[in-house]
Amino acid sequence: MTNDFEVRLQQAKGAIGILREAIGKVIVGQSDVVDQVMWGLAAGGHVLLEGAPGLGKTLLVRTLAQCLDLRFSRIQFTPDLMPSDVVGTNVLVMDAAQRAAGSMFQVQRGPIFGQIVLADEINRATPKTQSALLEAMAEHAVTIAGQRLVLEEPFFVLATENPIEMEGTYPLPEAQLDRFLLKVVVPNPSEDELCEVLVRTTGRGPEAPPRVIDRDAVMTLRGMCRDVAVAEPVLRYAARLVRASDPSTGDAPEVARRALRYGAGVRGAQSLVLAAKAVALCEGRANVSFEDVKRVAKPALRHRLIRSFEGEAEGTTTDAVIDALLAAVGTRPASVEAERPRGAV
Amino acid sequence: MGERERFHPLFEHWAGAVRRRLVARRALTGLALGLALAVIPALVAWKTRHGALRPLCALLGVAGAVAGLVVARRKRWSDVDVALWLDDRLETEEAITTAVGLRNQAEDDDEARAVVVSTAATALAGADEKRARPGVLRPLHALAPLAVVALVFVTRSPLPCAPVVAQAPGETKVQISQVEGLKKVAQLGEARARDDAQKQRLEKIAKDADKLKADLEKGLEKREALDRIAKLRDEIAAERLTLGEGEKRAGLEAAVSKMEENDATKEAAKALGDHDLEKMDKEMERIANAREKRDRDSARKTLEDAAAAAKANGAPDVGKALGEEKKALEEREKRAEALRDLEKAMEDSGVASPEQKSESESLDRKGDDATAKKLADAMGKALEKLSPEERKKLAEKLKEKASKGGSQSDPKKLKDLADDLSTPEGQKKLEDELKDMAHEDDESPESKGQKGLDDAEQGADGAEGDIDGQGPGEKGDGPGQPGQQPGQGENGQGPGQGGGKMPIPLPGQGSGSSNDDGSSGGGHHHDTGTGPHDGKTEPVGGAGTLKSRAHGSMNKAPGMPGTSTGFTPGKTGGTANVQGTGALGAAGPTEVDGVDHSDVPEEYREQVRQYFQP
Repeated sequence: MTNDFEVRLQQAKGAIGILREAIGKVIVGQSDVVDQVMWGLAAGGHVLLEGAPGLGKTLLVRTLAQCLDLRFSRIQFTPDLMPSDVVGTNVLVMDAAQRAAGSMFQVQRGPIFGQIVLADEINRATPKTQSALLEAMAEHAVTIAGQRLVLEEPFFVLATENPIEMEGTYPLPEAQLDRFLLKVVVPNPSEDELCEVLVRTTGRGPEAPPRVIDRDAVMTLRGMCRDVAVAEPVLRYAARLVRASDPSTGDAPEVARRALRYGAGVRGAQSLVLAAKAVALCEGRANVSFEDVKRVAKPALRHRLIRSFEGEAEGTTTDAVIDALLAAVGTRPASVEAERPRGAV
Repeated sequence: MGERERFHPLFEHWAGAVRRRLVARRALTGLALGLALAVIPALVAWKTRHGALRPLCALLGVAGAVAGLVVARRKRWSDVDVALWLDDRLETEEAITTAVGLRNQAEDDDEARAVVVSTAATALAGADEKRARPGVLRPLHALAPLAVVALVFVTRSPLPCAPVVAQAPGETKVQISQVEGLKKVAQLGEARARDDAQKQRLEKIAKDADKLKADLEKGLEKREALDRIAKLRDEIAAERLTLGEGEKRAGLEAAVSKMEENDATKEAAKALGDHDLEKMDKEMERIANAREKRDRDSARKTLEDAAAAAKANGAPDVGKALGEEKKALEEREKRAEALRDLEKAMEDSGVASPEQKSESESLDRKGDDATAKKLADAMGKALEKLSPEERKKLAEKLKEKASKGGSQSDPKKLKDLADDLSTPEGQKKLEDELKDMAHEDDESPESKGQKGLDDAEQGADGAEGDIDGQGPGEKGDGPGQPGQQPGQGENGQGPGQGGGKMPIPLPGQGSGSSNDDGSSGGGHHHDTGTGPHDGKTEPVGGAGTLKSRAHGSMNKAPGMPGTSTGFTPGKTGGTANVQGTGALGAAGPTEVDGVDHSDVPEEYREQVRQYFQP
């Protein structure tokens, strides 16, 4: 028996596939990055892209915006960027007619009012400006001159930051990082991918990607994501993972106790499950599996783990810690694990 | 039918199958472990020779299986556990687990949940049974058949030999209600004594025997019992030697010298020298019954002289004993003479019976009292059968013999005898006299006393045998008959024969025993060799062990040349004249110097070299 949800599930899977394909026409490789951005889009969270310059972060976001038929705005963060440059401000009305109507000022909306917002090199702006953006990300609304303005949904912020040019930057504080659902690390392309990039970018300019998904489809996707079912053992597994990241608990593995100062909190667990649901949705499933949780563990948790001095000194990355957590925390009860064939994942 | 209704029975079916196999596996694991563990107690039972317990050890396998079932019950998988297992095996990405978690919720509540349940039901419906069910057998289960084989092997293996536990000799307690041998010793109190001092000693021995008998009835440590019996036996043996010992030795030797001067009493002299008064009495018996009167007179005279010499040299007891022996000789002599005269008269009268003739010849040949008594008995019977004519004829013959003279008996006595025979009453009187003669005890008192001591000594031996679980055995005086056990012993001087219960039918173990050093015993002078031949052997204690016992005391005199005393560890090749590879190394029969190559001390090698020097 086929019900409506199952149909919509297949439609969503198809739409995601189409979107991925459309982006693939512009972006060479980076399939994991594209997938993780898809998860963020479906889950309704914001995504922080971290990678070296020139890896296509900005292009990816712009392409995504073009494919989604959503209003796109880009903010290039610089140290002299002011909050008002992001959220907007009141400007004096010069038009006599309008002034006659009694309105001396009118709101000049900033780029934050886009539906897909690219916050390029977010760590180059001052914390004040950063916090203006992050507040909007959390509230989905801004306040300009005492007037609260709700941002139009879907509101999807994709921020980028450059991990190598740290001079003159303002690293995002942990509390602010926590507002991003996922932190996506953009890797260097492989040789084949690089060749393909060279072919595409050194010839005639590529065609603009097609608009494949409209606003309503995105909103439907986000709604369905919340409906994906999660079994209690899977929820418990996510909870155990998050608890194990807390070095003050006995559940934490040795690596976590040594390399971490703080672990992921409740928001991290929420992000983990929500992102896992998005993964299931993108794959056309109505339930979350252990594997989904494992797949989203790194992007959902890596920016929420605060390394200790020892961890930083040893060069232990948060990804390495998460690998250790995944290895240490079992998915199933011990009695069931004992029955599984050796080597089973 | 809704998806939920389809999912539930499917899941229950699978859950049952999974759980049953898990239970079976745990029971098998318990069985295998139980059987494997059962091998250990089975081995212990085998080692400790509790053979009947070995098969019972297999029950541990059953107990293990039951324990496995109990564990399976306690660790029974919940529905979620089963669902997680099925998800893993069927690769359904936790759809079944999610469905199980959501099955109590209405389908209408959430469309997504309905999809999950549907997915799970579809997965279960098309599941591969082999893939989804947990395996029952594990490598550990291979222990079960191996353990069964081991158990069968251990159960069917013969039990090991019982270990020979070295126990201190004589520690065991013995409790015997009737010791016949000790009764004989106790009778010494009523035996004839040479004097008051001996009477007291004999009474003390008898009292000790009574006390030992009473103690044995209550129970006594074996070694103490044997010790006390040995003490009694020593006292009895010492009593046999009291005649002419110590200060009276000179008197005894003087008497022996006198007797040795006469050829007729030489043997008797030797017996006296050995304190064997019984033998001396026998010798005198032979002389008294001899036909030659000259020998008898000579012997009588010698006895008189010997008695006088003994008294003169300070041995009145020896003199008294010899005097008594002389009296006995005269009595026997008179009896023999009377018998021979009557026998001769009967033979001349033609009324002698064949039996009478045979006994008469035996008397001439053997010359012992027993034969004389048999002759008297035979003659008495012959007289009973005489007719009046024959009787008359016999009386005439006797009268004629008395008138002619030449007979050894007194002529007057012969005449009286003839008068008696002339009447039936007289004949009856003569018959009675002959009967009395046949039952007359002519033994000397000293011989009687020594016989009592011999009986007591035999009784002590018997008592020791009873306590030691070993028959006393009769002593032989010559080579044993075929089938007899040659003995060498404390008391026997030749191969003895087992009259009682022999411990082991082995050469060298008879009634006697050897001295501790392996040399022969001191010998005994009272070997009758008439013991019964109905001895039997006891079961050997401890399979594979042969034990020998030695009662003889160590001779204090130095050992004979070429013998050694004590124990030496024997092993194959331990001597230089036997080919082997023992302590002395490889040495051939002629390689006397083979010991030079061994690592034994130089001094010892020199000794060995000298010993084996041709």
